[in-house]
Amino acid sequence: MSDVLLLVQAAADTTHAYRDFPLIGARAAVWIAAEVHLMFAAFVLGVPMFAVVTEAIGIFGGDERYDRLSKEFTRLLLVAYSATAIWGAILVFFLATLYPRFWAYLTAVFGTSMWVYASLFFVESFTLYLYYYGWDRWKKGRAKLWHWTLGILLNVWGTIVMFIANSWLTYMMTPPRDITPTTDPTTIKLWHAIANATWMPINVHRLIANVVFGGAIVGAYASYRFLAARTAEERAHYDWMGYVGNFIAISALIVLPFAGYWLGREIYQYDQSMGITMMGGFMSWLWVIQAFLIAVLFLTGNYYLWVGMERIPGAERFRPYTKWLLAVLVLGAIVWGTPHTMIADSKELAAMGGSHHPFLGALGVMSAKNTAVNLMILTTFLSFLMYRRANRRPVVPWADTGTRIQGAMFLVAAGIVLFYGIRGYFVEAIVRIGYSVYQVLAVLSCILFVTVIDILMARGAQSLGAIQWGKMPPRSQYALFILAVTFTWLMGLMGFARSGIRQYWHVWQVVEDTSKYAATPALGYAARMISVCVLIFLSLVAFVFWLGGLAEKSTFVAQGEARHVGH
Amino acid sequence: MWATNLKIVGVVLGTLALYTLIANKIPQVQSEVPQALTLGTNVTPEQLVAAGEKVFTGIGGCTTCHGLGTRAPNLLTDEKGTGPIGVRCAKREPGKSCKQYLYESLADPTAYVVSGYQPIMPVMTRQLSPEQVWAAIAYLEAQGGTVDVTGDDIAKSKPASGGPTPGASPGSPGSPGLAAGSTDPKQIIQAAGCLACHKLEGQGQVIAPDLTHVGSRRDVASIRKKILDPGSSITQGYEKFAGIMPKTFGSMMSASQLEALVEYLAGHK
Repeated sequence: MSDVLLLVQAAADTTHAYRDFPLIGARAAVWIAAEVHLMFAAFVLGVPMFAVVTEAIGIFGGDERYDRLSKEFTRLLLVAYSATAIWGAILVFFLATLYPRFWAYLTAVFGTSMWVYASLFFVESFTLYLYYYGWDRWKKGRAKLWHWTLGILLNVWGTIVMFIANSWLTYMMTPPRDITPTTDPTTIKLWHAIANATWMPINVHRLIANVVFGGAIVGAYASYRFLAARTAEERAHYDWMGYVGNFIAISALIVLPFAGYWLGREIYQYDQSMGITMMGGFMSWLWVIQAFLIAVLFLTGNYYLWVGMERIPGAERFRPYTKWLLAVLVLGAIVWGTPHTMIADSKELAAMGGSHHPFLGALGVMSAKNTAVNLMILTTFLSFLMYRRANRRPVVPWADTGTRIQGAMFLVAAGIVLFYGIRGYFVEAIVRIGYSVYQVLAVLSCILFVTVIDILMARGAQSLGAIQWGKMPPRSQYALFILAVTFTWLMGLMGFARSGIRQYWHVWQVVEDTSKYAATPALGYAARMISVCVLIFLSLVAFVFWLGGLAEKSTFVAQGEARHVGH
Repeated sequence: MWATNLKIVGVVLGTLALYTLIANKIPQVQSEVPQALTLGTNVTPEQLVAAGEKVFTGIGGCTTCHGLGTRAPNLLTDEKGTGPIGVRCAKREPGKSCKQYLYESLADPTAYVVSGYQPIMPVMTRQLSPEQVWAAIAYLEAQGGTVDVTGDDIAKSKPASGGPTPGASPGSPGSPGLAAGSTDPKQIIQAAGCLACHKLEGQGQVIAPDLTHVGSRRDVASIRKKILDPGSSITQGYEKFAGIMPKTFGSMMSASQLEALVEYLAGHK
């Protein structure tokens, strides 16, 4: 018997499998530690992506505002890294003391990767220090490019760290099928455990979600600074920063459902009963809440753009269209929020004529939901396009033709989405699933080609006036706060869904949870836990922002003062 | 600035409160740890039906598909004019009583697939205990029909020496094996559910390698080993699905069944 196995055996023999935590219980304690750690981790992974892109825009676009913006993000990271590490340590201590037998199992399987994880976190932290403290020293010429490379390295380390942590939690969800309750954990090959069915889908999903999250939190930071600004210039700077944050968050959000779809498919392929629990079992109502949150995100994101158009000369010509866009978004949200399958008792089932509502049930199926969300994405893109074109009048000779082609692309994409959405009701499930690919491709192609045409059309366009940054009503900034809170809450909700589908298993059908907290709680309890976690996280983030403000003055710079960097 | 700070706090708390409130207003369903269902030989039909309802709407997950009629037939309500399941179950397959038909649907769901639907139902006897299976059958019979499930049905389904749950293990000592011990390879393939993943002679799925010409790429020993130990070799191109094939076929079949199946597959050149 190997040393590690002896250790596991000793832990199992000499300690209780579970201990409790005062007042809130062991499950709630681990829940809070894991969730807040994950939120900070998402922040410190998302913001560097943001920072390195804005720094690149500053270098290659020659606009120092972006460079300063990037540095301002990075400054926020310093304290956030400490908070991430502290909450990670709390989580490890809680797991080791409250779930000792399960923790021994995990370390037996993943011990080696845990050492690599700790080492990489160390490397990542020092890369961050170099990146931030070397900002002003390596500001010119080739040194600036080296500095930018440090930013890229920071992202590489962070991504690997996330991939390692993801392997632990995805193993808990989808352990390889040859691993059974009697498998000695020390005999499990590390790579075999890491490369499980949901590892890569979660990696991709979280990577994109971190960009969304980073953008949303930066947007909230900018909105706070906007509201607190004392000068018009400062207000203009933070208005622009909030716009950039929101733009990145919403852009990445558009891609996120496709990654989520891939993850869901892998879960179904791994174990159909797990997929059924997730979509049609006791978690079916969770998706109604998710739909509500997504609706809030789409509506608030679009609202921010529409309000933002008030500070753009020429935007008034697009204003009459917004009510129609709003109508599409609201209808889409209603369809997306229609429950598919509901847990009900026999009387309720009999009254409905089945587990689906006789009329609304037709809107609860994937054909309707995919159609709704794709049309909502198209609508949001149209809002952004109007925002982008608001103060420009194209002067290229083919401008009218280009606009007509763009319009036709929208119509064709919407037509394809509707066609396959309706046809999905008349074909078998296996065919219907394939239709979602055509719908997604139609929408993404439309976004891609319309954007290319728009960029070409914007060449030498006549300006109708500069965007009047800073002339935003305060209500638009509160919209950014709602976006940040909603993104964070949604992250907690989806985390509950992902973790909850394991039900009473620590590791699905391998290590059973025999604690008194083995039952998976209902949504109401989960919602209260999520809100507590979000509140803790946002309070700490506010503290981090405040510290950032104490450490250094705001880095905004007026446009007129902007100098070129990297040259 | 204090007024602004308070407004921000108000917006944050208000948003959190709204989401929490909505999540608490919808039906609250907690996923309980399944409790072992103990039903003695003297169990009454009423007790079986009551237990079966819990299985049907709970751990069985039946309502996910048996609802709108898009994925699987309605069971509790009328299905295309044939009435609820208790009324129509005895008419589905000639020579099979309602009880026999329902048990077959749960133990071997691909044996008979209702016209217009896909063979997507999982083998429930692998997921549920004999008590749960028979309770669910009693509940379905009660939907317009007569409950004739008894405690004896449960007792007969259990392994003689208290074997593993859920379900009875067809290959356990004394049991005849899959397909009631038949050595007809086609029956074994059907009972084992091979075509849920493999394709053979134009039938089945393409999740796992096509077996139509399996004899040309594997010899008898290789096929036997693959059935007994699916992880021993992985066909090129299917590495992603390694580990999906159950390792239990060796214990589910008798030796003569295994050999009949191996020979049959090896003959597919």
